[in-house]
Amino acid sequence: MIPPPAAAKTFDELTLGHGAALEDLIDRDALGEMAKSFYELFGVPLRIFSEDGKLLGDAADQIPLYTFVNSVRAGRALLQDVVGKVKSLALPDDGMANFPCATGESYLACAIQYDGKRIGRIILGPFVSDATSEPPAALFALDTSLDPARLRELYAALPRAEPDAVVKLARHLERTLDLLLFSGHRALLTSNMHLASVRESFRELEDKNEKLQTAFDRLKELDRLKSNFLATVSHELRTPLTSIIGYSEMLFEGLAGDLTSEQREFVQTIRDKGEQLLQLIKGLLDLSKLESGTMSLRKSQTDIFGILRDVAQTMNPTARKKDVEIAVEVENGLPLIWADAERLRQVFLNLTENAIKFTPPKGKVTLSAKLTSLDAAHSDDAGGVVILSARRTAIEFRVADTGIGIPDAEKPRVFDAFYQVDSSSTREAGGTGLGLSIVRRLVDGHDGVVRIVDNTPKGTVFVVTIPVKRATIS
Amino acid sequence: MQLDFVNRELTIKLVYYGPALSGKTTNLQALHKAAEPGSSGRLMTLETKDDRTLFFDLLPLTFRNQGNLAVRLKVFTVPGQVIHASTRRLVVQGADGIAFIADSRSNETQHNTESFMDLRENLKQHGLTLKQMPLIIQFNKRDLPDVRSDAEIAELASKGREPVYLAVATRGIGVVESMIGLLHLTWSALDAEHDLNKKFGFDAAAFLAQVAQKLGNPKPVPEILRACVGGALDVLRPEAE
Repeated sequence: MIPPPAAAKTFDELTLGHGAALEDLIDRDALGEMAKSFYELFGVPLRIFSEDGKLLGDAADQIPLYTFVNSVRAGRALLQDVVGKVKSLALPDDGMANFPCATGESYLACAIQYDGKRIGRIILGPFVSDATSEPPAALFALDTSLDPARLRELYAALPRAEPDAVVKLARHLERTLDLLLFSGHRALLTSNMHLASVRESFRELEDKNEKLQTAFDRLKELDRLKSNFLATVSHELRTPLTSIIGYSEMLFEGLAGDLTSEQREFVQTIRDKGEQLLQLIKGLLDLSKLESGTMSLRKSQTDIFGILRDVAQTMNPTARKKDVEIAVEVENGLPLIWADAERLRQVFLNLTENAIKFTPPKGKVTLSAKLTSLDAAHSDDAGGVVILSARRTAIEFRVADTGIGIPDAEKPRVFDAFYQVDSSSTREAGGTGLGLSIVRRLVDGHDGVVRIVDNTPKGTVFVVTIPVKRATIS
Repeated sequence: MQLDFVNRELTIKLVYYGPALSGKTTNLQALHKAAEPGSSGRLMTLETKDDRTLFFDLLPLTFRNQGNLAVRLKVFTVPGQVIHASTRRLVVQGADGIAFIADSRSNETQHNTESFMDLRENLKQHGLTLKQMPLIIQFNKRDLPDVRSDAEIAELASKGREPVYLAVATRGIGVVESMIGLLHLTWSALDAEHDLNKKFGFDAAAFLAQVAQKLGNPKPVPEILRACVGGALDVLRPEAE
């Protein structure tokens, strides 16, 4: 997961110089290879140690003299002593010190410094000066059992180099290493800076996300409050409205005495407008219930033809008034559908009413139903289409009109609450703009889809597809 | 600031801030060039292939055995380009002193202002204010045409708190003076906070003289410090010696 925000510390550690060790900056194998190549070229054995004495690179053959001397006890002790002393040799400010052994050969220790700090040392040797030909007496005195002739022979085979030249070699090696260390450090810094920058950007984004989330939560809460408000207000409006309608009905029916025809007309208008208002409030209530998810659908096995026929009959007087024909075309042998009959009726009443409203005289509104299938994955984009796309049997309802049609750009928006394609035509045609948003939510509640296609040659088709059986996933 | 008691070593972080292309890297290059080989490390530049600073430049300067203390200066630049905001914030963290390198050209004034606001914002994110931060301002590129006049800068500088330096970094003019000024302010602030002079028997004046010497300016320090226009160099000093 996301590393802890320790980047800044790392950054300071790296740049202010207490972090980098020799091993971090340079590849061990490559260091060994460099040492070997150096040894091959100049013939002086060398070893590279980290500051805490770990051997990092080694280029030295077995020295036959040492193998020979090692065979006696005094020789072993001497060699061990030399190794210890060379490794811990105190180095002066210029970083270089020579260690002459009692047995005649020399070592040169050279500090590896980076950024003003010692982070390791190079040890060159053993080597003997070209000028030396005879081993020192101390070598022969080591143990009398060692054959002097053999000692002489092996001593002559020691690596040879002039001390001055070795110092130059050491300086060269030091500079080469410094370059490598610098490059290594730079690469280390660069990659750490990349990391640190990414972490910093990540932190910024996290911050912004948090702010967005807060804003989003707040909006959701406001939305919920709005729905609650709508539900409460609708309910409170309905109660007095019922009285208004009830009393105007009683007046109209003469329960409070006879009315003149003009009075009857006025009372009739009051009642009609009251009814209209009640429908609007019911719509609002439905919508808020649907939005808040508190509307429960009472689903049962429902006969489709019955519903469509009923809708057509209900809307027939309105259609006839506008001189619009209504037709119902239902395929034979359609199965029963798992739905809330009352709500489904509401869906098609809404759609049919709309269709009639926007169809000019001599036009035709057709309600049809046929068998089709529906992708189970249609309703969300959560993925898993391969698994979810088992097709389900569904009924496709079409409410087709020959009306003014809906422009493509408007199609996705007509299901929004209170949205009107054209407010001037609304004035003419009436309506609240709630119908289609209720339709959409009711269809959603049936696990179905509603979409709009163009009718040919003109008009609009609302296609509602609802699965026949209930989804098996609860 | 990092203090290593064991090795008696003090590391001070100085940051060169400023708008893109105002000459921060050039300042460091000039310092690097001026410095004696022993006291300056390699100038490290983390740059993109189009040669603009990507993350930062880093120039280490080491001054050994001052009194009882070795002082290491780490001089950083930040990338001026707007997109590197997060890098600037990272680099400026833990800075002990800041040199703000401004472009003297009149038409760059707006960029200077934006960068300065950015600096203030970034310090704020680290819980710092400009007031607490030892800061000098350098007006660079004095050799170009269409620069704001000396008189104009002097006039503005006289009203401000920060010492202001004039420089031509490409020719090394004013670079060391800016650095000595910044170091003087920074040291005064650090000493006021940590009592370094007393704790380590440190002679600040001698130290500044040594730094100036090693950066190739043998003039007496007071004279170097007087190179600034306006501002107050001793504003952070606890008291005059």
